[in-house]
Amino acid sequence: MRDTELRQLCHSYFDAIERRDVDRVAELYAPEFTFWVNLTGTESSREQNLETLRGGYALHRRRTYDDRRIDTFETGFIARYSVSVVTHGGRRASLWACVVAQCKDGRITRIDEYLDSSKFRPPQETSRE
Amino acid sequence: MNDSEIRELCNRFFDAYQDRRIDELAEIYAPDCIVWHNVFGRETSGRDNLAALPESYKQQRRRTYDDRTIDTFAGGFVIQYTLHGVQHSGHRGALWICIVGLCKDGKITRIDEYMDSSKFAAWAGVGRGRTR
Repeated sequence: MRDTELRQLCHSYFDAIERRDVDRVAELYAPEFTFWVNLTGTESSREQNLETLRGGYALHRRRTYDDRRIDTFETGFIARYSVSVVTHGGRRASLWACVVAQCKDGRITRIDEYLDSSKFRPPQETSRE
Repeated sequence: MNDSEIRELCNRFFDAYQDRRIDELAEIYAPDCIVWHNVFGRETSGRDNLAALPESYKQQRRRTYDDRTIDTFAGGFVIQYTLHGVQHSGHRGALWICIVGLCKDGKITRIDEYMDSSKFAAWAGVGRGRTR
């Protein structure tokens, strides 16, 4: 895949997650898709990851993937970004994350995600906006 | 820089870090090198990063940067690796880390490092739970 195609795929992926379009995310995942995250060090399958996405949406009012810096390499892309969430209570929080994605034939075959789980803790009163 | 040059620079960087060769790291960092970390969310200079290393190295008996998976892009590399540490107590721990390095003229100009700080205590052998 060319640089432009990889960048488009990357944006399509984050845009679909952002607007909670799990069906679109499913289209972007190859059948053999594997997801790995540094929090657990375990791999999950395409279906498991889609289920996690569906369940995760209930946790927040809104989640956006901002400040995307994308680089592409021969078989995939790297995206560095901020995940910003608004909780149902109105609190705002964000964390910095990075994914390394392997891609083939217009789809994502693997994602390795790196983030800091300590940032999941509820924000302090002083950080309320 | 071409793919081979960037890969070589990346491995030189991690080999030097592992072997505690701060003089070699100083050669690898560009004068204006910036180091950023997702745990703190702030930038430090390469010079400050190097100045902190002697104290940092005292904290473990050994650190190795293993299982390096490197991909290169125009202007840099991404490396996914396992940081193994042996504490002075003998405790062994591991962390999964990803670094995006920007490179120019044979040197590293920026490092963005991503890791999970919740695993630090277990890595150092001072917390409960799994080390990786």
